[in-house]
Amino acid sequence: MGAFQRAAGARGRERDAPRRGPTYYGLPAVKASPWHGLVWSYVFVAGLAGSAQILATLADLLGGRELRGIVRRGRLLALLGPALGAPLLIADLYTPRRFYNMLRIFRATSPMSIGTYVLGAFSLLSGLTLLGQVLGERGSSAGRRLARTAQVPAALAGAGMSVYTAALLAATSTPLWAAAPRLLAARFGCSAMASAAAALSLAGRLAGEREAGSRRLDRVAMVAVAGEALAGRAAERRCEEAGVHAIRDGRRSAEERLGAVLLGAGVPLALHAVDAALPRRTAALPVAASIAVLAGGLLMRRMIMEAGNRSAERPDDYFRLTAAAPGRRR
Amino acid sequence: MAIEPRAADHPESLLAGPIPDESELTAGVRIEPGRRYGFFTDTTLCIGCKACEVACKEWNNLPADNLELTGNSYDNTIDLGANTWRHVHFIEKISRGGERATAMQPFQSNWLMMSDVCKHCANAPCLEACPTGAIFRTEFDTVVVQQDICNGCGYCVPACPFGVVEVSADDGKAHKCTLCYDRLKGGLEPACAKACPTDSIQFGELADLHERAARRVDRLHGQGVREAYLYGTPGAPGATGGLGELNAFFLLIDRPEVYNLPEAPSRASNRVAPALTTGLAVMAGLACAAAALLGGRQR
Repeated sequence: MGAFQRAAGARGRERDAPRRGPTYYGLPAVKASPWHGLVWSYVFVAGLAGSAQILATLADLLGGRELRGIVRRGRLLALLGPALGAPLLIADLYTPRRFYNMLRIFRATSPMSIGTYVLGAFSLLSGLTLLGQVLGERGSSAGRRLARTAQVPAALAGAGMSVYTAALLAATSTPLWAAAPRLLAARFGCSAMASAAAALSLAGRLAGEREAGSRRLDRVAMVAVAGEALAGRAAERRCEEAGVHAIRDGRRSAEERLGAVLLGAGVPLALHAVDAALPRRTAALPVAASIAVLAGGLLMRRMIMEAGNRSAERPDDYFRLTAAAPGRRR
Repeated sequence: MAIEPRAADHPESLLAGPIPDESELTAGVRIEPGRRYGFFTDTTLCIGCKACEVACKEWNNLPADNLELTGNSYDNTIDLGANTWRHVHFIEKISRGGERATAMQPFQSNWLMMSDVCKHCANAPCLEACPTGAIFRTEFDTVVVQQDICNGCGYCVPACPFGVVEVSADDGKAHKCTLCYDRLKGGLEPACAKACPTDSIQFGELADLHERAARRVDRLHGQGVREAYLYGTPGAPGATGGLGELNAFFLLIDRPEVYNLPEAPSRASNRVAPALTTGLAVMAGLACAAAALLGGRQR
């Protein structure tokens, strides 16, 4: 094995140089996932629903009249998870009639198995919370107790809903997703919270509620948007260090990235800054900002998925990621 | 090779039925449940005849695919997939050390040929990813996809660090090499190993195969082929990052990337805990921030 070890040592000296190593006719070394629009739409919906439940629970625990609308709308929004998310997943299966086989086992090494049960628990608990809400509005104190009891585990499941999809993508051999697992999870979590806060803020304004609640949600959204922007930048830097260039290469990647970052972070922050600078606060600018956050969140999921699938078809990215050079960071 | 005594019991050309424990005669190994079996693919013996591809397709009744010419030397199969479970790689090495070769190596021409297959990893990422339990470990220590359970979620596809398994668009399930599970149950060695005319593909018990492979590597080194090494045995390239070892391992004479293999792949499930814990911690932090921003005195 002497020759191979010598070759490995030489590669170690060149680890910072662009890879000029061999590939097999430029053919992919791993396979891209068979997932597209249905799955990245689900990731967005799951994060939004999960984080909406967190916000609704926080609003209820904090109390306060102006937050009551947030509680109600958050609990309704959470139901998007089971109502829209589950059909999206079932439709994505290549043999949808066997969707229930997901419940045959629980496998802790598989985020898809973990997610099946997170989605199930979240659906059940959010359903109970909303049921309690509805009964409580009709005057049932037992209903109010049900909502108050179920909402905390529902929020915990909601936290799972917001980030397990990142673990799902990271636990693959796709270079873009495997290169920076922690930062991908941070990115997805922040995006989920931003989307939920923006959706609730928008819903509040559309429902004609007083500005105060929506403005607080806007601040939550901006904090989350800033977090996502930081996590995203750090994730891309980590990918570049690992030799995975999928995000920066190619015109399509640039368009996707621009759309996600501009809409997701640049536009909302700018709109809120303008709104704050105006002598009289408007409703139109924050509404536009909320819509931009939602569109940006959706586009970011699409970018991660499609750029990831493309990175799987780039043998250079995969071989850089799986090189055994000494000192290479995982 | 000495003739097995039992071979004399079956001299006729047309057999009435399968020979009991036929693998003893053809591969020198008795197949019993509870033991660990795999492939040792010695690429220095491969002549690129593709008998393994044909035998695999015929035995498993796989549909034809990749019918076009690729221009990639003699490789028109392109890669492993749902309908291709053996794939022969062809690499023509025109130069050695940057200069065009003007002489053949003592034992082999300047061509690399290797029959790629599912590696049946000891800690198979496809198995660990499968949420339905369709992918399981058999009594022969191989990895098989149960076709009556798989619902085509496709998670095994990006999980595999070697790009082996694929979901078929025709029947909606994931497919890959089964190491001829049905043949093993009948005492027959896998179709590709039986068809291989040079015994480049050797089927047997893992311990025996490791021993045989180590002896072969030593012999090649003695003959001047110092680049020969094993890929996929415990501690070797390919069996890295928590994968343990590859039940189907290889003897290679060039860098793994030349054969479209990763040098140091990793077990995908290593990344589950870091991602989940960081994600949940971020959510906890965001929840605190949200509580601070939503709460406070109402104006």
